[in-house]
Amino acid sequence: MLSYFIRRVILSIPILLGVAVISFLLVYLAPGDPLSQFRVPNVRPEVLERLEQIYGFNKPLHEQFFGWITNYVQIWNVDAWGISITHRRPVLELIAERMPATFLLMGTSLALTIIIAIPLGMLAAIKQYSIADKIVTTFATIGYAMPSFVLGTYLLYIGAIWTGWFPFRGMTSSLRVAGDPLDIAWHLVLPVSSLAIQSIAGWSRYIRATMLEVLNQDYIRTARAKGLGSNRVNFRHALRNALIPVITLFGLSLPALLGGAVITEGIFSWPGLGSFGLQAVGQRDYPVIMAFVLLGGIAVVVGNLIADILYGVVDPRIKY
Amino acid sequence: MADTTYDVRQVQFEDTDDIDRTEVRSYWTLARQRFVRHRLAVLGAITLVFLIIAAVVVPFIAGDTLRVSASRSFAPAEIVNADGELTLALLGYTRVGYNLFGQLMAATGTSLMIAFAAVLIIVLIGITVGAIAGFAGGWVDNLLMRVVDVALALPGLFIIIAFVAFWGSSIFTIILAIGITGWTLAARLVRAEFLSLREADYVQAARALGASPRRIILRHMLPPALAPIIVAASLGVADSVVLEAALSFIGFGISADQASLGTLLNVAFEYLNREPYLVLFPSVVLILIVLAANFLGDGMRDALDPRQRVAQK
Repeated sequence: MLSYFIRRVILSIPILLGVAVISFLLVYLAPGDPLSQFRVPNVRPEVLERLEQIYGFNKPLHEQFFGWITNYVQIWNVDAWGISITHRRPVLELIAERMPATFLLMGTSLALTIIIAIPLGMLAAIKQYSIADKIVTTFATIGYAMPSFVLGTYLLYIGAIWTGWFPFRGMTSSLRVAGDPLDIAWHLVLPVSSLAIQSIAGWSRYIRATMLEVLNQDYIRTARAKGLGSNRVNFRHALRNALIPVITLFGLSLPALLGGAVITEGIFSWPGLGSFGLQAVGQRDYPVIMAFVLLGGIAVVVGNLIADILYGVVDPRIKY
Repeated sequence: MADTTYDVRQVQFEDTDDIDRTEVRSYWTLARQRFVRHRLAVLGAITLVFLIIAAVVVPFIAGDTLRVSASRSFAPAEIVNADGELTLALLGYTRVGYNLFGQLMAATGTSLMIAFAAVLIIVLIGITVGAIAGFAGGWVDNLLMRVVDVALALPGLFIIIAFVAFWGSSIFTIILAIGITGWTLAARLVRAEFLSLREADYVQAARALGASPRRIILRHMLPPALAPIIVAASLGVADSVVLEAALSFIGFGISADQASLGTLLNVAFEYLNREPYLVLFPSVVLILIVLAANFLGDGMRDALDPRQRVAQK
């Protein structure tokens, strides 16, 4: 197990390096000048030169890349990931500041998805072709086909503008109540529902399919034949095995936990990483953009690793 | 002797049960029959065709989508305007005088065009990478699959947004951005098919006969590998339409003069508290396209590749 883990970590290094190269090239090859906002008459040329030196824009390509990548590993330095051009503060600090909001948003939505989608998918599979199944399947198909920003816009209109029940932007009502859990929960309702409804649709479809597959297996027939009650068969024999492939979905959802939902956060002005990344692109804040791409890559690699390890934990047939 | 000559045409079968009378059906006949049985897929295909025709024809008929002498108020639906010209303003006019239906169909056309072009790039890159990896095997395959791993680890939507923001948002850059980030699934599918086909007897036979790699790939391996690609392309259209709409919705996509469905949604979002119905039309068309393309993809999978029916989620 440990040797498998170490091997996987080592194998993920070239992938992360590849991600780093792409992120670097994306920014390096972009037309235009990252310091253009400073090239105004009242900024002296010495200052510009100094800025170029700090950001290393005047060095050749490979030196810039290796300088950048060696800095990146030194996470113990707060400015290892560069300094934001627009905020003029270390990128690592800015990311750490926005992480909790994203974690809260995505974590709540993931938890809701797991709690709701598993029973829904199971119900649809056990009572295949029943009215309940048809309702779940129809909901899942429509939810799956509805892009998250369309759903977000609908919910924003219904929940905030039409009824006025929920706030339409941000995470807190005012500075006075900042940090009040109830206030935050109230702000969470709309963005979380727009994220959760979509993932519940996807997950319940998937769980229904895996559950149906398991229910057709020989060992389920054996279990029924030897007279076990349907609850015992459905929950102990079928559900446990049907959930194994769901771990893949879980692994795929983990990167979103870190990277946030760029568009949903944008619609509801949620102060998380997603809207932060979007702003950085708009303002051409290159150090932040590069950090964001690399962070996304790390999140995917870690998510896959966790999924693979969980597979080994829940499925004794898999040995490392 | 004349009566010993054996004439096949005069042979009479006494026991007709011996003959297999089932009609011989080709792969494509079978595929068509399986597809037609999939009612939702047929409905999806009809919807897409209908939308494409409307997207081409309506803007052509409606001409300038701006109503002349706009009266600064919402105008009801009409088919022919006061001057007797065909306008097809089935959804009426906005306050500033836009023919809503004409605008909607023009935007549908832009969205579909971008999606089809992006899927074309996806399929071309996917086939090329997958075919090279699957045919060559060994270290070439290994290297290309690590490239796929890297591409899969990238935050796709964010890269697309950044690419379009840096290189200027035009129809061309959006197609390119969606195309060069979306080819991984197609490449994996083609590679998997090629890896198994490489060992097939008829491919070995072709190789033994001295066929060039080019001929083996194009004539013997690509045609049977196309089924999963067609399915993936159909699902890819749905994904690309949504990606482009998302991009335009958050303001990094196409500008208003070449509106796509996402641009319309972006504009409608600004007026959400005053004219909420503006969000409804483009989003319904968007959902229709996604549903239709997905049903079409499901139907194609059942029709072209019945083996995958169970294997796929």
